[in-house]
Amino acid sequence: MAEVRAEMVANVWRVVVAEGDHVEDGDTLVILESMKMEIPVLAEQSGTVSKLHVAEGDVVQEDDLIAVID
Amino acid sequence: MTIVSDVSAGSAAGAGSLSLPRDPVARLAALFDAGSMELLDSPEGSGVAAAAGLVEGAGAVAFASDPRVQGGASGSEGCAVIVSAYDEAVARGVPVIGLWHSGGARIAEGVASLHGVGTVFAAMTAASGVVPQISVVLGPAAGGAAYGPALTDIVILSRQGRIFVTGPDVVRSVTGEDVDMARLGGPEPHSRRSGVVHLVADTDTEAVGYARSVAALLSSQGTVSAESVASRDLSGILPDSARRAYDVHTVISRLLDSPGIELHPKWAPNIVTTLGRLAGRTVGVIANNPMRLGGCLDTASAEKAARFVRFCDAFGVPLVVVVDTPGYLPGVGQEWDGVVRRGAKLLHAFAEAVVPRVTLVTRKAYGGAYIAMNSRSLGATRVFAWPDAEVAVMGAVAAVRILHKRRLAKVPAAELHDAEAALAAEHEATVGGLGRAVEIGVVDEIVSPAGTAAAIAEAIASAPAKRGAHANIPL
Repeated sequence: MAEVRAEMVANVWRVVVAEGDHVEDGDTLVILESMKMEIPVLAEQSGTVSKLHVAEGDVVQEDDLIAVID
Repeated sequence: MTIVSDVSAGSAAGAGSLSLPRDPVARLAALFDAGSMELLDSPEGSGVAAAAGLVEGAGAVAFASDPRVQGGASGSEGCAVIVSAYDEAVARGVPVIGLWHSGGARIAEGVASLHGVGTVFAAMTAASGVVPQISVVLGPAAGGAAYGPALTDIVILSRQGRIFVTGPDVVRSVTGEDVDMARLGGPEPHSRRSGVVHLVADTDTEAVGYARSVAALLSSQGTVSAESVASRDLSGILPDSARRAYDVHTVISRLLDSPGIELHPKWAPNIVTTLGRLAGRTVGVIANNPMRLGGCLDTASAEKAARFVRFCDAFGVPLVVVVDTPGYLPGVGQEWDGVVRRGAKLLHAFAEAVVPRVTLVTRKAYGGAYIAMNSRSLGATRVFAWPDAEVAVMGAVAAVRILHKRRLAKVPAAELHDAEAALAAEHEATVGGLGRAVEIGVVDEIVSPAGTAAAIAEAIASAPAKRGAHANIPL
């Protein structure tokens, strides 16, 4: 199991995957918006997205949980 | 040539086909060019073998701890062998490569073994910046054997390598944490979290291969042949939207002659540090990666880049700095983590470096991060920018929101966007914009993506070849 956490304060601009999706290492899970940049959040291992903790429009703080990959 | 003894027996005792034999002489033989290895003196039972020979046709010295003797633990005799190997490498002016598989200091020898380990550390520090030092960790490297590799320039970890100061048993008895060797000091924590390890290899053979490649890049640096990159075109890489992320690895792979060796690929991935060849010559590439953290600089990336700059400078490797950064990452976490102190290391490293160092601004360079990424003010050899690049304190709209805060506060919401855009255009015309940067000389030349590789190669070729006179402290 791997928890994917926000590396910075940001708005959630796009949610690319859904719970239950299979993802590969390096796939984009969500796209954040911060520092006037679109910042993809990537899977750091292959597996299934078992939990998605954010929705489009949310504000995440540094270290907030974004998704869990099993 | 020294005959490699008992390789088959070593293989049988190893941890599967991915491992080299446990015999240190066989491990050394795998490192050197076939037939080139000569063993150096090593007393029976010292637990360390040492040799000199050729790596990719250039001289090198290497040593290997012997996991078959007291788990590879270092005693005073073994440490003396390592110190002699260092003396030999410095005398010959060649890289020194350590193959580690050691439980640390020999407990039975008491403080004498600690003294021996300390003399190794002193020899490594004395040789720092003088000859390249590469460590390959093939098995557990604990205590003193952990700090040995950590003091060297490049640390390569094989799949079964483990690096930690105190092992799982001590951790459990002192802190109550239940953790295995891999989670404590295996490839995952050291490649992503600690920054201890520059390269992780899937097999021992691959690990030794990395050591050979790095040694060759440093020993045989070559000369620039700018014509060879005349047709190398970097067009079409940047996305249409200036806000969109892209992977800077594409820029680097298109720029270099062949795939380079990326150091610390998973640690602080918002900056990429790659050793490779451009137009036939070894260069170090440092690039912001907009794909990670938007390409912001932060504590870890500043430290990673600073160490790489000093490493390249110490061994005369020119730098190519590819800039696309919105600035330093803001936040309490960063400030408390020492972004001021750790970011200062990057300023110091660039300002101190004497190797040719060429900057290319591809898209944007804002604020403090603009200065830090090898700006003219820090002594860049040449600063190039692509035609649409922005060089500024911050984006023009963000700037006018601060400069004209009161004026904009009175503008009705419906007209705000247009008002900001008008002020931003005025701001760019007066203080900002690439034209202004060229005018005051902080950007030397605007180059097209198609002419970039040749321009960088020529800038490196025409700069005096220099090498920094300093050690490479593991920042």
